[in-house]
Amino acid sequence: MSERPSLTPDERRQLAAELALGLLHGDERSQAIALSREDGEFAGEVARWRGRLAPSLAEVEEIQPAGHVWEAIERGIGGAPADAKIIQLNRRLSRWRGFAAATSAVAASLALVLVMRPPQALQPAPIAQPAPMVATLASDSSNDRLVATWDPARRSLIVAAAAGMQPAVGKDHELWVIPAGGKPLAIGVMHPKRPMRMTLPMTMAAHFKTGATLAVSVEPTGGSATGLPTGPVIAAGALQQT
Amino acid sequence: MIALVESSPTNAGPNRNGGDLAGLLAAVASGDRPALARLYQRTSAKLYGICLRVLRDQADAEEALQDIFVTIWNKARLYDRAKSAPLTWLSVLARNKAVDRVRIKRIATGGLDEAAEFPDDSPSALDVLEAADDRARLTDCLEQLEERYRSLIRDAFVDGASYPELAAREDVPLGTMKSWIRRSLLRLRGCLEQ
Repeated sequence: MSERPSLTPDERRQLAAELALGLLHGDERSQAIALSREDGEFAGEVARWRGRLAPSLAEVEEIQPAGHVWEAIERGIGGAPADAKIIQLNRRLSRWRGFAAATSAVAASLALVLVMRPPQALQPAPIAQPAPMVATLASDSSNDRLVATWDPARRSLIVAAAAGMQPAVGKDHELWVIPAGGKPLAIGVMHPKRPMRMTLPMTMAAHFKTGATLAVSVEPTGGSATGLPTGPVIAAGALQQT
Repeated sequence: MIALVESSPTNAGPNRNGGDLAGLLAAVASGDRPALARLYQRTSAKLYGICLRVLRDQADAEEALQDIFVTIWNKARLYDRAKSAPLTWLSVLARNKAVDRVRIKRIATGGLDEAAEFPDDSPSALDVLEAADDRARLTDCLEQLEERYRSLIRDAFVDGASYPELAAREDVPLGTMKSWIRRSLLRLRGCLEQ
């Protein structure tokens, strides 16, 4: 799906410039961001435009900020450098393991996700939809974000995570699709560092339609053994038509 | 003020200012707090200027600057001196963070779709690829555009103005603004890629 059939090479270059400049908004912008996450060449083009335009920032006048800003930054970094923070987070997650038995809480959090992101259409859509779909998986309690793109024609699913989404030691992140009004269905365990790319079987592909929600939960290594999420849901989002 | 392109990686010979900043960024990446303080002393006026230019509000710009330095603390390891000069990378990071903040404000006031306006926090969002002659080229190529279009392109990048904002600013329909900018970008790109 790195090459969208609707975009010519020229249009792609134009889109890269528009994204770097910040001209895009709404769906156009989220689609361009999704493309930059799944297509290194496009991302490189965007980076190149940032470099080309950067000299215009050299003209901006320097202004000394007030002293209290630095104090706030010192409080903000709290003594922990980036990598140490990840370790801290992992520790916190491992402490949560003790609560993993509370599956009812998980069910509740999934229900909450469904309430917060109501399905847009309840009528079943045709299985073979020509237009690609996207979902932005976000969480209210953390900065974790993923972008999923679904190409029904090829039954191809790509899910790319933002930085810092590695699961804790002994844990995996598992991806689920929750059909409108249905139970979560396991799609697969995500690679801790690489985007997830897979071709889905027809039976699974049938659930990828407007109104379905994609969610990522924290599971024991290898994924949930029960067929339903057992750990906390760390990101979720509704599948939408592009 | 430090010239951005002087310390560009493709320029032969070490540049003292750029070299120092790159060294500070490497130290910050390894969790060196005093290095972050020195980096702040050296670059905060530049980056705060960018925040104020984009946000046009002191409190917002101060918050953006905090956010920027916390991001630098957490993401300094993503800086690659083979791709861009340190001050270029920092300036673009500051500009993008400030623009993200403008977008979030827009959601609050304009009821825009939140999911579609979220900040892009993938590592590639911090990627900047610079070439030695970018500055001279940009100046030359912007000169070749009509004054009106030149300032539109500048406003879009330096102020973080999106298509709808630029259309409102110039009081023209959105479609007209898009075709103006797209035509200007096409010409700019043709010139920059020569």
